[in-house]
Amino acid sequence: MIVLGSNSEIAQAFVEKVLGEGDRFPVIYLLTSNPEITEKFVKHLDVKFLQHAEIVNLDLEKKVDYNKLDYISSDLLFCATGFLGEDSETGLYNNKNTEKIIGVNYAKLVPLLNYFAQKMETKRSGTLIVLSSVAGERGRQSNFIYGSAKAGMTAYLSGLRNYLFSKKVHVLTVKPGFMATKMTDGLPLNPKLTAMPKQAADCIYKAYKSKKDVAYVLPIWFLIMMVIKNIPEFIFKKLKL
Amino acid sequence: MQQNFKHKVSNWGNFPTVEKEVKSEDSYLNIKKFIANKNEIIARGNGRCYGDSSLAEHIFSTKKLNKFISFDRINGILECEAGVLLSDILAISVPQSFFLHVTPGTKFITLGGAIASNIHGKNHHLEGSFCEFLLAFTLINERGEILNCSRSENSALFWASIGGMGLTGIILSAKIKLKKIETSYIRQESIKAENLDEIFNLFEESKDWTYTVAWIDCLQRGEKIGRSIIMRGEHALLNEIPQKFLEKPLAIRQKFSPTIPFFFPNFILNNFTVKIFNYFFYAKQRVKFLKNIIDYETFFYPLDAINDWNKIYGKEGFIQYQMVIPKENGKEGMRKILETIAKSGNGSFLAVLKLFGKGNPEAYNSFPMEGYTLALDFKVNKKLQNLVQKLDDIVESYGGRIYLAKDSMSKPSLTNYLKNVKNPKFNSLQQKRILNHN
Repeated sequence: MIVLGSNSEIAQAFVEKVLGEGDRFPVIYLLTSNPEITEKFVKHLDVKFLQHAEIVNLDLEKKVDYNKLDYISSDLLFCATGFLGEDSETGLYNNKNTEKIIGVNYAKLVPLLNYFAQKMETKRSGTLIVLSSVAGERGRQSNFIYGSAKAGMTAYLSGLRNYLFSKKVHVLTVKPGFMATKMTDGLPLNPKLTAMPKQAADCIYKAYKSKKDVAYVLPIWFLIMMVIKNIPEFIFKKLKL
Repeated sequence: MQQNFKHKVSNWGNFPTVEKEVKSEDSYLNIKKFIANKNEIIARGNGRCYGDSSLAEHIFSTKKLNKFISFDRINGILECEAGVLLSDILAISVPQSFFLHVTPGTKFITLGGAIASNIHGKNHHLEGSFCEFLLAFTLINERGEILNCSRSENSALFWASIGGMGLTGIILSAKIKLKKIETSYIRQESIKAENLDEIFNLFEESKDWTYTVAWIDCLQRGEKIGRSIIMRGEHALLNEIPQKFLEKPLAIRQKFSPTIPFFFPNFILNNFTVKIFNYFFYAKQRVKFLKNIIDYETFFYPLDAINDWNKIYGKEGFIQYQMVIPKENGKEGMRKILETIAKSGNGSFLAVLKLFGKGNPEAYNSFPMEGYTLALDFKVNKKLQNLVQKLDDIVESYGGRIYLAKDSMSKPSLTNYLKNVKNPKFNSLQQKRILNHN
């Protein structure tokens, strides 16, 4: 198993879910830009599941050296890298922030996903699970830079799925909605619309096993986004969302 | 981004409920920052204390400190972070033939909480409380220093923090010794007792059993006062379990656990329904003396089988009243307590009676003392404060005290027994309540 963004709580919860169901892997490759924190997770997996895991240093903000990733291969990839960044007002004027959001969530992630997708294509088997976001369904003033990057990711995954379908590789796009994680810490989220990492992991696992294409963690988000997507633009532009 | 967003939070008794900041972090660096910027912080684990012990202006939830660190499978020494639940520990230790030395009546508490309350179990009379099997822990103090604490290192802080209700700092991780078992089953005997004399004799007679506990029907009066069932148990050995269990002697039983979906309306739990429940509980065991082999879940954690059982007490919540009365006055004190409850008509489901052994004088902040302890659940209503006052007076007159992990409204003179925990950074609503009354 390959994990991108290994310090993400959803990623860790998903790894635990898969192992808890009894699956084992020769190695779990934990790709991360912050290996010190990931260290704890490696020990945890060893004690809890007797599962060997290995940390692979990878920072999407720097140049990725693909030679170093050459030995890594698996049938299952879980991608939870993400960077929410600041909200719109500063977003519009903060180019550094904008570049990071677009880079980590889309521009620099796509080549990396391509790289692992190629390996699966050659082997004609595998599953790519990638966290996108409901924010990518329609650009809103509150986080349109993040939203546009995620929209790109959703479109990319849709195309990738289409391309890999005949190659027997499964692509699962996950749209979590609000999550109670580090990323959203301090945000006043409505608890009814917010999922816990464990809940998300259960849902993603189910979608993975049943080979779903797109999964919303909380079904209510499907409805919310349906409404939001169908508001005519001349009304939408006046709304404060 | 809005900071200091407040959450509605209450512990297992759903009383009291407050709106406070709740912060959860797994990075020690960020925990340090949090401590540096705030006052009146208290650590909170899984919120299974009943009252206001883990409530404060700034609550630090240890939920994200949920990683295992190491497990010596030969000697049974486990190290993990403070937010790991006892249920998580059992899930990995039982298949490896290790059990917790000391466990309370629920497995859904955190390791940090177990230390801060120095919890006790059904084996207190023989094996003492949680600290006896605690080897070391790390704690982050008011200056943001991470200290290793054990009997040999920072020992003053080690002992002050055991039972110290989180007032000395935030426990980050701990190392405990586990108990070797042959099977995951318990050899149990349950005996019905007609009255208080009989149950006290049974406790004396059962003092060599590792685990003893009694369920007591606290609505009985007169001659029947103290009608109860004592349950005593030992970890079953391989040669004691039936053939059908031998294939997987360390099996963890996966049971269906129903969930209470919503707060029950007030009228459901009343004196009458409690009476019916108690009647059936007592009548369910038809014979006086019953011997059987049961799985550890059923023996130790019967209530864990029903998720969110606290909701049956309704939105207003309930309190658990747990006191200990020194042994010499035990029977007399219990009789008075039970008489007072029966008279009040404030019936309690599942009152639990247990004999404590001698406390460990080094763990001076702990609740247990040699004597009888009784735990009762009462629904919060207008009459409750009055009943608690009456019970408190009895407990005080017999030289007893109240368990802080359950307390939310008892007399301060019964709960102000903590020493060496005054700290500028860490304080709970419970301590504020207790000390302001002085």
